[in-house]
Amino acid sequence: MSNSNLIAENQLMVNRRQFFGQSATGIGTAALASLLASNSGAAQKMGGAFGGLGTLPHFPAKAKRVIYLFMNGAPTHTDLFDYKPLQQKLHGKPVPKEYIEGKRFSTMTGNPDGKLMLAPVEPYQQHGKCGAWVSNFMPHTARMADHLCFIKSMHTTQVNHAPAVSFFLSGSETPGRPTMGAWLSYGLGSDTDSLPSFVVMTSVSKGTTCGQIFYDYYWESGFLPSQYQGVKFRAGGDPVLYLQNPSGIGAVERRGMLDDLAKLNQMRHAEFGDPEILTRIAQYEMAYRMQASVPELADISKEPQPVLDLYGPAVKERGTFAYNCLMARRLIERGTRFVQVMHAGWDQHRSVTTELYNQCRDTDQPSAGLVADLQQRGLLEDTLVIWGGEFGRTPFIQGELSNRPQWGRDHHPYAFTIWMAGGGVKPGITYGASDDLGMNAAVNPVHVHDFQATLLHLLGIDHEQFTYKFQGRRYRLSDVHGKVVHEIIA
Amino acid sequence: MKRAGIIMAGSMLVAALQAAPADFGREVLPILSDHCFKCHGPDEKARKGKLRLDTKEGALRTEKPVLIAGKSSRSELIRRITSKDPDVMMPPPESKLKLAPAQIAAIKSWVDAGAAWSKHWAFEPPQRAALPAVKNTKWPRNEIDRFILARLELEGLQPSLEADNVTLLRRVSLDLTGLPPSQVELAAFLKDPSPAAYESAVDRMLASPRYGERMAWDWLDAARYADSNGYQGDGDRTMWPWRDWVVRSLNHNLPYNQFTLEQLAGDLLPNATDEQRLATGFNRNHMINGEGGRIAEENRIEYIFDQTETLGTIWLGMTFTCTRCHDHKFDPITQRDYFSLFAFFNNTPVTGGGGDPQGAPNLIVQTEADQLRRAELQQRFDSEVAKLTELEMKRFPREEKQTAADSTAAKELPEAVRKTLARAAAQRDAKSLDELVTQFEKPAPEYGVALKSLKAAIEARNGFEKSIPKVMVMAEMGKPRETRIFERGVYTKPTELVNSATPASLPAMSTNAPRNRLGLANWLLEPQHPLTARVTVNRHWQLFFGNGLVKTSEDFGVQGEKPSHPELLDWLAAEFVSTGWNVKTLHKRIVTSAAYRQSSKFKPALQERDPENRLIARAPRFRLPSWMIRDQALFVSGLLVERIGGPPVKSYQPEGIWAEATFGNKQYQQDHGESLYRRSLYTFWRRIVGPTIFFDVAKRQTCAVRTGRTNTPLHALITLNDVTYIEASRAMAQRVLREAGTDDAARISFAFQLATSRAPKLDEREVLLKRLDVLRREYLRDAASAKSLLAVGESKRDETLNPADHAAFTVICNLILNLDEVITHE
Repeated sequence: MSNSNLIAENQLMVNRRQFFGQSATGIGTAALASLLASNSGAAQKMGGAFGGLGTLPHFPAKAKRVIYLFMNGAPTHTDLFDYKPLQQKLHGKPVPKEYIEGKRFSTMTGNPDGKLMLAPVEPYQQHGKCGAWVSNFMPHTARMADHLCFIKSMHTTQVNHAPAVSFFLSGSETPGRPTMGAWLSYGLGSDTDSLPSFVVMTSVSKGTTCGQIFYDYYWESGFLPSQYQGVKFRAGGDPVLYLQNPSGIGAVERRGMLDDLAKLNQMRHAEFGDPEILTRIAQYEMAYRMQASVPELADISKEPQPVLDLYGPAVKERGTFAYNCLMARRLIERGTRFVQVMHAGWDQHRSVTTELYNQCRDTDQPSAGLVADLQQRGLLEDTLVIWGGEFGRTPFIQGELSNRPQWGRDHHPYAFTIWMAGGGVKPGITYGASDDLGMNAAVNPVHVHDFQATLLHLLGIDHEQFTYKFQGRRYRLSDVHGKVVHEIIA
Repeated sequence: MKRAGIIMAGSMLVAALQAAPADFGREVLPILSDHCFKCHGPDEKARKGKLRLDTKEGALRTEKPVLIAGKSSRSELIRRITSKDPDVMMPPPESKLKLAPAQIAAIKSWVDAGAAWSKHWAFEPPQRAALPAVKNTKWPRNEIDRFILARLELEGLQPSLEADNVTLLRRVSLDLTGLPPSQVELAAFLKDPSPAAYESAVDRMLASPRYGERMAWDWLDAARYADSNGYQGDGDRTMWPWRDWVVRSLNHNLPYNQFTLEQLAGDLLPNATDEQRLATGFNRNHMINGEGGRIAEENRIEYIFDQTETLGTIWLGMTFTCTRCHDHKFDPITQRDYFSLFAFFNNTPVTGGGGDPQGAPNLIVQTEADQLRRAELQQRFDSEVAKLTELEMKRFPREEKQTAADSTAAKELPEAVRKTLARAAAQRDAKSLDELVTQFEKPAPEYGVALKSLKAAIEARNGFEKSIPKVMVMAEMGKPRETRIFERGVYTKPTELVNSATPASLPAMSTNAPRNRLGLANWLLEPQHPLTARVTVNRHWQLFFGNGLVKTSEDFGVQGEKPSHPELLDWLAAEFVSTGWNVKTLHKRIVTSAAYRQSSKFKPALQERDPENRLIARAPRFRLPSWMIRDQALFVSGLLVERIGGPPVKSYQPEGIWAEATFGNKQYQQDHGESLYRRSLYTFWRRIVGPTIFFDVAKRQTCAVRTGRTNTPLHALITLNDVTYIEASRAMAQRVLREAGTDDAARISFAFQLATSRAPKLDEREVLLKRLDVLRREYLRDAASAKSLLAVGESKRDETLNPADHAAFTVICNLILNLDEVITHE
């Protein structure tokens, strides 16, 4: 099928040869078994090629892996995807009371009574065979409309950034629970033993004045063992910390040293019989492989120009969203299960006519390019791509109507838009709708927990059955809620 | 999902052997809790079919009975749990829960034996059991061993042989001091044939100041200690004097009851000392949210949630978080209980606004050195004031009671200057002095210099005062706030009023105890309290054995794991209280037990029976905490700088870690010199991006009493490549070259012994010798690589050493420091 398995297969052969050919440590089959199961401690049944629970998937999966393009700061659904003629018509008029009654807004808005409606900054057009409305802010995404599934009735219960992001990624607004990628690595295991199964990359547009911090609990493993936490690839320096050999220790010295380390540890194992020693040998070997596989991953010199062009002009610049999108594709090709690409700077409190343009310039083409690239490689079929933020933005204004350069929109949890592509999701559809003003989820509302349940379902997992017992309670990604949105599943 | 396989299987086995009915509290109740309480438990709102199984009245109700004592075949509950009909079966199919055949059998056997009801074991006061009889009377060294051995004998198992002397000394040294034994200590111990040698080594370690530094780490995890606020902004705080209080208290062996009292309510003790008020910093270690747009009251409530839940985890071993919003699904804790406990903490004059990392109420903490420095600065100030005053008397002649401004010489001066002159020199600030300098510097240089000197003295004094740490502490408001239950835990939805009170299902507070934090702390410490002592000794056990007797050390509730040795846990708890909550006595008892002194070698048959070693038929074997691995590397290399306490230090960290996480707002300024080599305990802990050199550590965001222990490639990369470890390898190699003579075999043996405390076996030494040859040849050929390897780290190298030799041994030491044996608690 895809070339990802080929790459993995090939690497595995190389690694086996390398390990047994060059090192000749005489480690037996027990060590090999442990080498292949990158889990700590007791042997577990295989879900993915490496690790995972034997009980998963619960049913055939449509998606094998996920790329989550997380838009930190909350993109303005009302300027980008959620077209409402009435909003245009009411521009400059007070928000009709019936839309906001009993709603709580952030302290910056306070009481929304009397706030003025603000029309979308850019015009909208319909695109593709599906006729999806997309604003002129997003020309590249618009061109991919027939491959995307827009959910326009998302809603959440959080109005502040960090709790809302955490809510999306872990099902809880406070830190401490495992995030999606950790759940999936734990449950499904990995298709690679040379790269982490859960990788995170972050970026922010240049000149962003209100960037949100990327807390490391956005990719934490919570109460799951820490080997499942996301590995954050860094924008500068080594993508993985401590990846470089110290200066003065070359590959040859390191290989020789590791061979002897394995030999001595093997002797210890012969005496003590602790299987954890074999796991440790295996982990040192994977560390060694990562020293080669991560630079190989990051070497994009062999990517053909037409492919690079899909991601736009910033693709070669490390630390940009475009670069991270390309890395995401390269990672999933090599067997990574879950890639979380986070881009901050969507918090347009006073910049929908200014910084929003930068945000879109930096993210529109790479997001669309990623979908196109996966599509042409046949990977979109079983790779789920998600684009979305932690909530939406108010259809009414934050700031003064007379001061166009400082127009802004405040946090808005009651309706917003995300899109999904591939991985068993119906292409070219729009699901759910907000009301006439984009204010509240009106038709087929999709709560964050519903989204999580659906995501797990696409991966062949029953969200109610996939639990982990901690502190006496069975925890789930979807907490105690969530309904699978079957209507969007192909 | 991992289950408590062996223990369950083990106790089943015993149960089968004795043909005894299943014990309700330890076996049946947990099954009911896990499978039934969600709908038939304490939470009234979630209860289905009006059936309640968590109380005797509910489960054994006479109207529409579900259980007929002695007759499982006639009991509705049994019919339901054995039914295959989806409309009848329990738990219902949609719950996705299933009872295992052994679990059904346990419930049946309990019903057939009469369905005797009792409370969950952890809610009954601990009973000091009589020491069980054992067959092998030679093995036990103290009471602990009687319990361990009795259980092993019941299972038909044998304990392991005692570990060899070297392993034992290394194990106990790491456990008690966080560092391996020095070569001198090791040699002395091995030479001492007396049977008391081990005990006297233990006594020496318990008395070492390293003991407090080692034991502090786990308490800091529990107390969520950090050097910054967390959240956006993440301002630096100065809670470190509280951290030093912990180290001091542990070293002085402050009894645990006093340790508890002072931290929870030191400010409320009669004639509270500054030291006791400092202790209350414990409750202010929570994160502080300085994010713009946050509502102050919302923050304040969050902080009290954190304080309430931290108390729950540390002293009660109970998870209270669920009960913020609703009655507990499993344990007998209601939402009212939660807010009644919350009320104890609701009376501190904290506002919740802003992100001040030294927010009031706080305590200014100074050392003797600070006091000396303050006196010094005061003296400098006084003498500058005197000098200036004398000059001004000459410059502005006047009557005795007049000021300089009244002098005729000052008549023509600008108003602002005259205003300043009207104040005595000691009353002027730096800004007003500046104006005088501008006025007089040119016309009167000598006077100008005196003015500037005084200004400098003032600034030095102010700068110093700012640098004195302020520790956030607890205080009680004169008029307490009222506390209401928040609907679904949302602070904007207050409902019923509650008074401060302890959970209703636990023993009541004595009626004359004050209803404040002091009363609360005293209640926790009542000798008959079912939880405090048990939860505490369990955490201590976990330190030495890797797991607690109750593995879920954070949860003693119905859903927590059952103790592997319930009578031992109770005996230790009762003994702990009767020794006056003496922690060092407890530690000594543990490390001098035969159970602790066993070898950790695996036995294949045992491995199948008890893979997690819960029966302790051998000593545990587990990877050392990452901070201890770092300290050990510094120690064996000779780099470690041992100095107790003080502000946190910033050791090596890869570039850009802070900047990347904070959009450049925080820049890591690495320290130099001795600060690079302090114990890990003193490492600066930024909450939003913790130190990268540690792994499997608590986040220090909320209370943690148990941390994971994993085995990943990322850990290997740290100990293989981080500057700290390479520098330690280089320094260790230098020690080897200087101290071990010129023979390679002897040098290898010395290096190996430094890290493992033992001499290498011949085949081990052979592997390393061969590698040394290869490396030395390579570094002889490639002098540039040798040079660059020897340049890693800021400490100076002995330039007289041959670079190729030194580099080759550096790699060998790096290898040795990564041996499984070196990073493992054997």
